[in-house]
Amino acid sequence: MRLLLIEDYLPLQKSLTKGLCEAGFAVDVTGDGQEGLWYAMNNDYDVIILDLMLPGVDGLSILKKLRAKGRQSHVLILTAKDTLQDRVAGLDLGADDYLVKPFAFEELLARIRALLRRSYLQKNPRIKIKDLQIDLTTQRVWRGREEIQLTPREYALLEYLAMRAGEPVSRTDIWEHIYEFKSTASSNVVDVYIGYLRKKIELTGKPPLIHTVRGRGYCLGVQL
Amino acid sequence: MMYSLRIRLITGVIIGILLLLAVFSLVVYSVIRRALINQFDASLVSTAQILSASVELNDGEIDLELDVEYMQEFQRKERPTYYQLWHKDTVALRSPSLGRDNLLRFEGPLDVPVFRALQKNRQPLRAIGLKFEPRGVKKPERDRDRKRNEDKQRAKQQTLTLVVARDARVLQGQLSFLRWLLLTASAGAIILSFLVAAFVVRHGLRPLTAIAGEIAAIRENDLSTRIGTTSVPDEVLPIKNRLNDLLSRLEEAFKRERRFTADVAHELRTPLSGIRSTIEVTLARARNSSEYQTVLSECLAIVETMQTMVSNLLMIARLDAHQITFRRAQINLTELVNCCWRPFSDRALEHEIVFENCIPLEMTCESDPENLSTALSNLLDNAIEYTDNGGQIWVTAHHYDDSIEIAVANTGCKLTSEQVSHVFDCFWRADPSRTATGIHCGLGLSLVQRIVRALGGSTNASVQADGVFTVRLILPVM
Repeated sequence: MRLLLIEDYLPLQKSLTKGLCEAGFAVDVTGDGQEGLWYAMNNDYDVIILDLMLPGVDGLSILKKLRAKGRQSHVLILTAKDTLQDRVAGLDLGADDYLVKPFAFEELLARIRALLRRSYLQKNPRIKIKDLQIDLTTQRVWRGREEIQLTPREYALLEYLAMRAGEPVSRTDIWEHIYEFKSTASSNVVDVYIGYLRKKIELTGKPPLIHTVRGRGYCLGVQL
Repeated sequence: MMYSLRIRLITGVIIGILLLLAVFSLVVYSVIRRALINQFDASLVSTAQILSASVELNDGEIDLELDVEYMQEFQRKERPTYYQLWHKDTVALRSPSLGRDNLLRFEGPLDVPVFRALQKNRQPLRAIGLKFEPRGVKKPERDRDRKRNEDKQRAKQQTLTLVVARDARVLQGQLSFLRWLLLTASAGAIILSFLVAAFVVRHGLRPLTAIAGEIAAIRENDLSTRIGTTSVPDEVLPIKNRLNDLLSRLEEAFKRERRFTADVAHELRTPLSGIRSTIEVTLARARNSSEYQTVLSECLAIVETMQTMVSNLLMIARLDAHQITFRRAQINLTELVNCCWRPFSDRALEHEIVFENCIPLEMTCESDPENLSTALSNLLDNAIEYTDNGGQIWVTAHHYDDSIEIAVANTGCKLTSEQVSHVFDCFWRADPSRTATGIHCGLGLSLVQRIVRALGGSTNASVQADGVFTVRLILPVM
């Protein structure tokens, strides 16, 4: 899942980026409002984490412009402003969540996961596809009773496919939601990772879970 | 206060009315009493005159005209009139009403009636004593001197004393009725005036009661209400206005305090969230020692920033509460400025900022060295933070008659004149987002201003069109 972090306080920016990356998210970071707006306008982020007081353009203006342009990314406001008016103003301008500094990193992660489930209309934090189980909270994966060890990138790929299970997911979508902006583009990197994932989750003698949809991408769970 | 004011007013009114009534009653009573007694006495006098005119003395024989003697007045049993007549020391005549009793004998000078209250059988009487010469004496014609002497002698021998007394119960009854009437009327007037005074005072104090009610309804968490009681009397109007003024000032102070607290909370939250998430992310998994070192030093830097901010806040609070004592010493300004600059020289070098101390070497000033250097350090810190790379900072000082002006100037200021007017406000920043960048939390210049004020001086700031920002400290010369 791909996140955008717009936060100008460097120590926080640094630690959040590190923590979110380690949690398996693809994270784009900026400390400047103008730059943040540009990122948000030009990429399809799953969640945007937005500070309110920013140099350049302030957080609420970014939010207003995003919604005015019809961008649907979920926005989580992260700010030291804690008055009722601030919260109401933020939520009314189209934010999906509001977290006041200082916060527990665990809570931030949980809120991001909740927003992601909402994005993909997934109420249950445990996704089941046939005998494949994915726990979105602990990021653990089982095939039958056996737990499968995945690298963060592999997990991110599986999670994205699972969120959109039953529909074809294009390579571009995968690329845009699994990789951060700075990653160097490579035409077959998605195919390579699909290969890695198949090796780990497919079992010999059982029908495959990941199907290739010719010309459209991949589909988890259903043969299209 | 309300209660006692009411009681005091009512008591005052009642005492006033009481005094008035007492004086009035006394005057009325004494006037009427005088009139009644005069009337009584007048009738006594006329009776005495009739009697005295009816007495004839013929060669030591005293006669009373019969019709007078048998006047109904002197006969009746019920409230009769008494008289008794003495010739020399013997009782000459007695009214039939007197029987065998005697009246007290008293008299004044010849032909001058004297009045006296008497008692007979415990009944009050009022009596007139009159010494007179009876009619019917032929004056013998002798020579003048003899005649005069003999007249005197004869007068002595031939004067009679008449005492006429009359029952005074009616008079006493009239007087006691008058007393009763006056007392009752006074009591009634007092009760009535108490009721009226209570009503009038209560009515008069109603605006105060209303204002008190409104004040009681004001809560400390909502000071925006004002006392709105209309139709306030002129005497209370200033109280109402002063109270409203006080409320305005309180509200303003509370607002300022709340804003300040909110600002402090906000300023502390950002670095706290930095520390917290840095630590949490680091603890999420095992790291190698160099990673821990990096993280710890990052946290330390944040803590140092917070510490500076907290000590600045504390100093501001202490300065505001006048809890800081100052000492006075002769300070060499050049040395002081150089001393203050030293910690910043590396940062200046890094940004290629040129620093110049233009204060004349011998210039001194008498002030508090620690606090003045805190102020100067904050000014230099601020200057470095806002000077453009490759810019300049310079410090000058001028001596005036009764003050010394120290100015810290730097290039590269992008503030407008309007913005410059806010630089001494707590937590004010030209760019609100600068909150998060760490080093500066918008307290430096407020602290400078407070220190200089506490030292008895003043501060001002200005910006020129070429971007030169100057802060001046004007200190008094002792």
